[in-house]
Amino acid sequence: MFRSFLSWRYLLHRRTNLIGIVGVLLGVGALILILSIMTGFLEQTRASVRGTLADFFVRPAPLLAAPDPEGLGVPPEPDEVLRIVRSIDGVRAATPQYTWYGMLAPGGADTANATEILSRPLDSQQNAIELVGIDVASEFETTGFDDALRLTPTRGFRVADPDAPFARPPGYRPDGLEKPRIVLGDALYGRLRVQRGDELTFLTVVFDPESKTLVGSNKTFIVAGSFRTKDNEVDARRAYVEREVLADFLRNDARYTDVLVMLADYDQDAPRVRDELRAKLLDAKLIDGQPAEIISWEDMRAVLLGAIRNERVLMAIMLSLILVVACFSIFAILSMMVTEKRRDIGVLTALGATPRGVMQLFLMIAFWDALVGAVIGAILGTWMAIKIDPLEQWLSKTFGVQIFDRTIYYFDEIPSVVEPLWVAVIVLGAFACALVFAAIPAWRAARMDPLEALRYE
Amino acid sequence: MSPDAVLRLDRPAVLSARGVKKSFRVGDRELEVLHGVDFTLQPGEILALTGPSGAGKSTLLHILGLLDRPTSGTVTLDGESAWELSGEDRARLRNRKIGFVFQFYHLISELTALENVLLPAMVGESAGEFRANRERHENAARKMLDDFGLTERLAHRPAQLSGGERQRVALARALLYDPPIVIADEPTGNLDRATGERVLELLFREQAARRFSLLFVTHDERLAERCERRVVMVDGVVHPYAVA
Repeated sequence: MFRSFLSWRYLLHRRTNLIGIVGVLLGVGALILILSIMTGFLEQTRASVRGTLADFFVRPAPLLAAPDPEGLGVPPEPDEVLRIVRSIDGVRAATPQYTWYGMLAPGGADTANATEILSRPLDSQQNAIELVGIDVASEFETTGFDDALRLTPTRGFRVADPDAPFARPPGYRPDGLEKPRIVLGDALYGRLRVQRGDELTFLTVVFDPESKTLVGSNKTFIVAGSFRTKDNEVDARRAYVEREVLADFLRNDARYTDVLVMLADYDQDAPRVRDELRAKLLDAKLIDGQPAEIISWEDMRAVLLGAIRNERVLMAIMLSLILVVACFSIFAILSMMVTEKRRDIGVLTALGATPRGVMQLFLMIAFWDALVGAVIGAILGTWMAIKIDPLEQWLSKTFGVQIFDRTIYYFDEIPSVVEPLWVAVIVLGAFACALVFAAIPAWRAARMDPLEALRYE
Repeated sequence: MSPDAVLRLDRPAVLSARGVKKSFRVGDRELEVLHGVDFTLQPGEILALTGPSGAGKSTLLHILGLLDRPTSGTVTLDGESAWELSGEDRARLRNRKIGFVFQFYHLISELTALENVLLPAMVGESAGEFRANRERHENAARKMLDDFGLTERLAHRPAQLSGGERQRVALARALLYDPPIVIADEPTGNLDRATGERVLELLFREQAARRFSLLFVTHDERLAERCERRVVMVDGVVHPYAVA
């Protein structure tokens, strides 16, 4: 009984114990806060990345191969692939896409001044984009493109009718031949300083079957508006047009490059669907069987997601050091305490305490340190993780420093996800750490000669 | 020594030592401090252990108090050979059967007077047992502190008490479990004469009421004179006291 009672008294009467408590509190609180933000960041990024991507990408290798004079060897239209994909159990939707790379230049640019633009490294770098041709109806069913069209833009301008993104923008009066429409990523829209109804020219190189060489080509589009995915890369580098328009312009044999597949339950079905896709498409000789022909959205963004995961681990390791330092302070305080309390140790032994009881007495002090520190730290850390956005805004307002730049991350608020399991692991880790560090002075107390202690005055 | 004091050899000793030797290693040689001590403490007896400094009194007291293991020999407490017991059992025996009163009081500074008195029960009982017995222990502790003139001092910490008050708290602590043996090591050594006298009066009064065996280790001739029996320790051997 004396162990818990006396250890608590020792804790309360010795203010230096506060150092240990505050250390554990800070360590636990910071770990929970930062890990929650990193987890939120990861989940938000996953959600954003996944929003514009699909669960799987089918990229038949023959389509991507160098132009073959004898033809592709696979149908140029995606219908057959789509039919097979949609027949697989667990597939919710699928859509074809045609992705091509080039540059966007202000209206009126032609092949001649492409050279001029290319010779300016900064412009060419900034204007390099990924032009994606889509089938609107099936795209809406498959990816999060329709949501991206509706999300409030930060630098762009929403399309007039999100249900028909390539419709004529208000105020656009075709002068002669009607030009097709293009929808730009939010950041791209801002960077090009365009407005709805402006002309933009897409400059690229295509294969010329007659001369059998690559030749420069361009196509002018009318800006219909912007979309916003919250994925920085996509919003800064991608533009959408209708697939038929892009395919007609490029005049390649193939009329699609990818088929995007969305599953009903990715987490559960992904491996099975991937295997079935591979098997059935191989049977139909639509793919070669290379691993890169069917990839998941996680494979596509493996580097980004892996980097965030790594950062989370690194942050956890770095912040754990706070806990270790706190536990070192517990060790130091307890070591001093054992020396100071040697007389008490002798008295307790004379009154019938065993060495084990003495050891537990000092371990209990570390236990209280960890309990008070970890509980308050967990509550504080969790509260801050939940309230991080208003807190950040308050801090920014109070100190006049912008802590979280929303334009960099493309998140409207600081993402934060508190995982109860993490909280439990951190709290238990703090306990384990404190007790391990306290074990050495506690063991020393238990081995102390009570007679030495009693002689001491 | 009171005239009617007699050795009650007909009754079994509550505490005895037979052939107790104790040696310490000093550098690379063994230094024997106790050379085969025989010692007996009878139930209800008041015994003074005197002797010059360095004679081995404290060493014997620690061995008799089960705080130090003899190099050889046996110590029997209430019929049990103390050093044959497990550490746990010996600690329990010490908790229930021996009350210590130290020269320097040795109160725990973080606890109040009342809590210091309750300490043996906190040490000796599990949390459940202590909760169940708490009221009884508290009543006993309060009554003792009342009797010892400390009614107003229950919630005071040792630093707020005078030397005499501290020693009275220490005395109450020693008596909480009503042990059959109280070992008092120079109990007045740190007190002025009048204060020491009051503490001794209390100790003798409690002994008369509770009939515990009281072993004084002291240099104080006047105190030794008041004991029923007296033994002298000289060069690590205990002798019966003989008037020169």
